[in-house]
Amino acid sequence: MALSFKPIKPLLQTGTNNASRWFSYIGLGIGVLLLLASIQMFINIQKMLEGNTIRKDGFDFISITKTVTNETMGQTEKNLFNATDIAEIKALPYLEDVTPLVANTFRVQLSAGSIIPFQTDLFIETLEEDFIDTVPTSFTWQEGQVDIPIIFSSDFLEIYNVFAPGQDLPQISAATASGVPIIITCEGNGKKAAFRGKVVALSDRINSVLVPKNFLDWANKTFGTVTNMQASRLFIKSKDANDPALLNFLDKKNYKVNKDKTKFGRVKQVLQGIFTGLGVFGLLVVVLALMLFSFYLQLVIARSKNSLQLLLTLGYSPAWLSTHVSRQFIPVYIAIVLSAVAITQLMQWSFHRFAMYNRPEISSYVHWSVVFVAVGLILLSLYTNYLLVKKLVNKVF
Amino acid sequence: MELSLHQLFPRYFEKNGRDSELWNQDLHFKQGEYIKIVAPSGSGKTSLMHFIYGMRNEYDGKILYDKEDIHSFGAEDFSKLRKDVVSIVFQDLKLFPDQTVFDNLEIKRQLNPFHPMTMIKEMSAKLGIEKKLNSLVSTCSYGEQQRIAIIRALMQPYKILLLDEPFSHLDNKNALLAMELMLEESKKREATIVFADLERIDYFPFTKLYHL
Repeated sequence: MALSFKPIKPLLQTGTNNASRWFSYIGLGIGVLLLLASIQMFINIQKMLEGNTIRKDGFDFISITKTVTNETMGQTEKNLFNATDIAEIKALPYLEDVTPLVANTFRVQLSAGSIIPFQTDLFIETLEEDFIDTVPTSFTWQEGQVDIPIIFSSDFLEIYNVFAPGQDLPQISAATASGVPIIITCEGNGKKAAFRGKVVALSDRINSVLVPKNFLDWANKTFGTVTNMQASRLFIKSKDANDPALLNFLDKKNYKVNKDKTKFGRVKQVLQGIFTGLGVFGLLVVVLALMLFSFYLQLVIARSKNSLQLLLTLGYSPAWLSTHVSRQFIPVYIAIVLSAVAITQLMQWSFHRFAMYNRPEISSYVHWSVVFVAVGLILLSLYTNYLLVKKLVNKVF
Repeated sequence: MELSLHQLFPRYFEKNGRDSELWNQDLHFKQGEYIKIVAPSGSGKTSLMHFIYGMRNEYDGKILYDKEDIHSFGAEDFSKLRKDVVSIVFQDLKLFPDQTVFDNLEIKRQLNPFHPMTMIKEMSAKLGIEKKLNSLVSTCSYGEQQRIAIIRALMQPYKILLLDEPFSHLDNKNALLAMELMLEESKKREATIVFADLERIDYFPFTKLYHL
């Protein structure tokens, strides 16, 4: 027959100092709730803001430039990225890749021929294909080819459509844009040549007019006057454009970044900071509550010292007594943590339903990591409890 | 189970001027022997019992159970020893005063049941305390408490039974009944009895007698 704790239980004076016991229970409950709710909110923020950047294959792409200030105006070398700058950015552990946007070093004019009487000086740029969101198979060029495939920023088309009616020009759709023949005139180095541009895709990611890399390399060599042109824009590929470490780096270097793409990151930075703070505070409350409970336990054992001593004298094992005395508090700990999980679940459900109007990015249910932390907290409380009781019982022996 | 005492001497006793048949001697008690220790108050009877039971260790010399020195025992080893090998009737009884008589006996019995629960009632009837089983120990007389302590010691298996003035509060009739019960139970276990008292008692059939 297994040894029963039933006749032993009345020998423990647990009823003493109820106030300290209840304070520690309430404290533990509040601490665990704060911690779990903070973790859940942290995850909510992460989920809500991760969809706000343009992603390709799970990566974010953002372009950066150097901020032109009154001091650096007119000093081109200070406003362009040199090889050291690029190497420094490449070495950052939280970035996947970086590539310069190479611009034309000669004059480029763009016109739409007779269909749309419109002509403008423009710039063309190129970058590694891996960084472009839409790359059709036709985006290639070979020397001698007159047709040049172009990837055009959809923002530019939008801007054109805004001013076109005022200029008595026709507004055009994205589909028509790809059918409009564009004449690109390259001029420089005493040479001039006209090419037929064809919009093969529109890009949401890159605010530029992109041409195949080998075309621009050839054109810069042929029409360009500047050798070893440095990049004014860099394109970076990152797992998370809102990564606080990346944003800190950009701020520190005074690099300018597309604010739209990182503004969520800044909000996220602040919110996550607040919830991390709350989480740490919750953890501190948990530790304090466990400490308060340890005082209560010490008191229980001190008051039950004679009985425990006699039990040990009669032949009860210290390990068995420690296990069974600490086991008395398991239901209380489990009840406290489960209540905190239930309240966190209720808060999450209300948040999702009433504050977020059932947005699909987040769930009505608590994240698994919250449950995981709750189980971890139960185990941690029980283990610290057991160690403490064991130490106190051995002291009595 | 053989119990050996080698040059045992309490550290708090003065070394000189003592002439004892037990202290500072090499003694071996074989299983089944009945040892009687007679000594006046203050000569160390309770100390000896506590040393053998492992409750105190302020002594020089060695105490061996089957050649195993109890100096090397840890807390769990002592628990096992007290649960399986050595039982004791304390001079100061050491009962739980706020528990019932039954609970006091059951707490010991369930630890390593040598007898079924029904034996609690049977033994209590033999020693005349069966009506007290549901009473709190604190409401029992010293004589009744002594009988509870004796029955408690018999609830477990043992190879050695230590008795520290077990009849100090009992009249002759009750002492005789208790002795008979202890002898009967020890015979079942083929156990050694180490009986310490102020004076020789005729109804304890000792095989060895020592004066402290």
